[in-house]
Amino acid sequence: MIELEGLTKHYPNSKKPAVDDFSLKMAEGETCVFVGPSGCGKTTILRMINRLVEPTSGSIRIDGKDVLSADQDQLRRNMGYVIQQIGLLPHRTVRDNVALVPRLLGWAEERTLKRVQELLGLVGLDPEETGGKYPHQLSGGQMQRVGVARAMAADPPIMLMDEPFGAVDPIVRSRLQDEFLQIQHSFNKTICFVTHDIDEAMKMGDKVAIINEGKLVQHGTPMEVLSQPAGPFVRNLLGEDRGVKLLDLTKCQDLMRRDEGLLQKLQGNPCTIGALQPVKAALEVMLRKDCDTVTVLRGDRAVGALTWQEIKGHIHGLSGEDHEL
Amino acid sequence: MGSAGGFLAYMEGIGEFWRGILTFIMENRQRIMEYTLNHFSLVLTVLALSLALWVSVGILISRNDKTANAVMGISNILFCIPSISLFGLFITIPYLGLGRRSAALALLLYAMMPLVRNVYKGIKSVDRYVLESGRGMGMSAAQILFHIQIPLAWPVVFAGIRVTVVLITGIATVATFIGERNLGRLIHHGLTRSNSQMIVAGALLVSLMALLLDFLMGLVEKKITSPGLRE
Amino acid sequence: MNFDFAAFLEALIHRSPPHVLEHLLLVLVPLLLAVAISFPTGILLTRPRYRPFAGQVLALLNAGQTIPPLAVICIFLPVWGLGYRPAVIALTIYALLPIARNTIAGISGVPLEVREAARGMGMTAREVLLQVELPLSFPVIMTGIKTSAVLTVGTATLATLVGARGMGAVIFAGINFRRVELILAGTLVIGVMALLLDRILTLIEYALTPRFLR
Repeated sequence: MIELEGLTKHYPNSKKPAVDDFSLKMAEGETCVFVGPSGCGKTTILRMINRLVEPTSGSIRIDGKDVLSADQDQLRRNMGYVIQQIGLLPHRTVRDNVALVPRLLGWAEERTLKRVQELLGLVGLDPEETGGKYPHQLSGGQMQRVGVARAMAADPPIMLMDEPFGAVDPIVRSRLQDEFLQIQHSFNKTICFVTHDIDEAMKMGDKVAIINEGKLVQHGTPMEVLSQPAGPFVRNLLGEDRGVKLLDLTKCQDLMRRDEGLLQKLQGNPCTIGALQPVKAALEVMLRKDCDTVTVLRGDRAVGALTWQEIKGHIHGLSGEDHEL
Repeated sequence: MGSAGGFLAYMEGIGEFWRGILTFIMENRQRIMEYTLNHFSLVLTVLALSLALWVSVGILISRNDKTANAVMGISNILFCIPSISLFGLFITIPYLGLGRRSAALALLLYAMMPLVRNVYKGIKSVDRYVLESGRGMGMSAAQILFHIQIPLAWPVVFAGIRVTVVLITGIATVATFIGERNLGRLIHHGLTRSNSQMIVAGALLVSLMALLLDFLMGLVEKKITSPGLRE
Repeated sequence: MNFDFAAFLEALIHRSPPHVLEHLLLVLVPLLLAVAISFPTGILLTRPRYRPFAGQVLALLNAGQTIPPLAVICIFLPVWGLGYRPAVIALTIYALLPIARNTIAGISGVPLEVREAARGMGMTAREVLLQVELPLSFPVIMTGIKTSAVLTVGTATLATLVGARGMGAVIFAGINFRRVELILAGTLVIGVMALLLDRILTLIEYALTPRFLR
């Protein structure tokens, strides 16, 4: 567990603190996304966790141990760190880049190389083909994969990621996000993830921390944030399509009506959707096929139905005070 | 006819002159060998000293911009002093005197500018995100210096070393006027004896040596650069 | 080392002045010649048609720079004999590289998008050169000229060996007669000369720089 308490950073040449009395708890295995406009202090907070920036005041504890009195280098070797610019060492091969932290930690060479093979495979790179290449021979997406592999090399329990997918084009970004979610599901690391992209935050985060002018504005699950935005700043950040975003986060099986009678009636309904698909996809089916009811399928079996009523109710019920949607 | 004859005579004159130079070199090959070795040993001594001293200075000043500006200012001023002045000043200092010590010290000071500047420039030009990721992964300051900064600065540093070698080889010729027995001596003595063949022989040999060293250093430069840094 | 201050002053006030003008000519003439040769050549080598040769020309000039100054000064002796002319030619050759290199680097360093924008607005190649490329690369070119100037002030000291005199005469006399006062005085004068020349060129640069770039 990571606990930030009263964290404040005051840079000498500025009037306002970059980070102002920031407190937050991140549970083990949780992905917490820091999101906010540029200059809001989210990166500074991240960099205080691995002490690339020293806080002016406040405390950081990891599993109850005070980070600020730990040895900096040891601390960082136990945290993966990925930045947008990646920062691969241009004079080392991909293999040596990934092997960097294990070697710093003094692993046996055999173990290190085995780990490198494993990781390159994990992030979707061919170890044989890519391992011997130099960074400048890779595409942006490949470099970012190497960056992630390098950060995970020593299997750190905590990963700090600063706009890790910010520099690649939207298609590659989306694929990297999906793959990273996959990896995260199987390794269960505690991840602090910084982004300015609210959609990325909603997609990647178990929890979202919305930050403005160095202060924590709202902290909660994406669903909580979308349904009960804390004030105009958050509403603005979420955008006009808050309701649609909400539908994107809700799975059909969570919203569907389990009405056997209705299902009987719907037999042969051409409008169907998988139970794990987001409600937004069901909406898309309804609009495209011009039907008012969608049958929700688990495998081939109809398990429920979604109508306009549920969808409207979901948005209205959760949207708090503004109903102009 | 007449003009053709004149041309032939002229060509013959030139041929004569160059033959003279060749003869001079052949007849004096032992002396030239001695001068060449002396020249080399001076250059190598100074190079070894400069690398030890100026590379360290370059690394040290890369940690503090104010010191860096001051140190590079000094090296620029030193570099602007004509070589013959510096040689001349040092020989009047008792311990240094005529000969190698004065020559080596002066050359050491000339080597400061290209070496310190390139080491500093090389280290400073390392991409800040590479440094950041190194720090973020828990590399110590020493590890960052030896595993990131120095290897990445190396091409620039080596370019500085190459310039330095050529530079001190050239300036070392002037040290003949303070008693160094090197290739500059052929020019020096040629001038005092008004022996133009000797002068040209000296100038050619010295130029050849500088070009050769530059060429060799260029080859080494290509060999030792990490393939990751070649485009 | 016994330093005689009176002798130093004597060297500075009486011995040096006659050689200052000689030295100045040994610097200014080669410098102007070098600018006259290198500047247009540098521009030419950035034009599409001649650009492929830029590398080779620079390599040639680099080789010229590699040759020790003492050798360059002396190598023309058999052709032109002793005197002012071989020294000026040698010093000119020596001053070529920094100017040519910086002219090429400066013009090539003008951002492509700026150049394209200029072409896109309908400027001719000539207008782009005169109104965009040269004004933007001017500081870099001036840096090259300053480098050559300072280099030449120092190297010209050796010109006295081939009979062109200059401040080198004072310094070499100091070495021959073991008179540190002469060496110091000569060095001081040369130092001041280099400094002043650099300052004057900086002023010229400032005066000629378009206001928005200052």
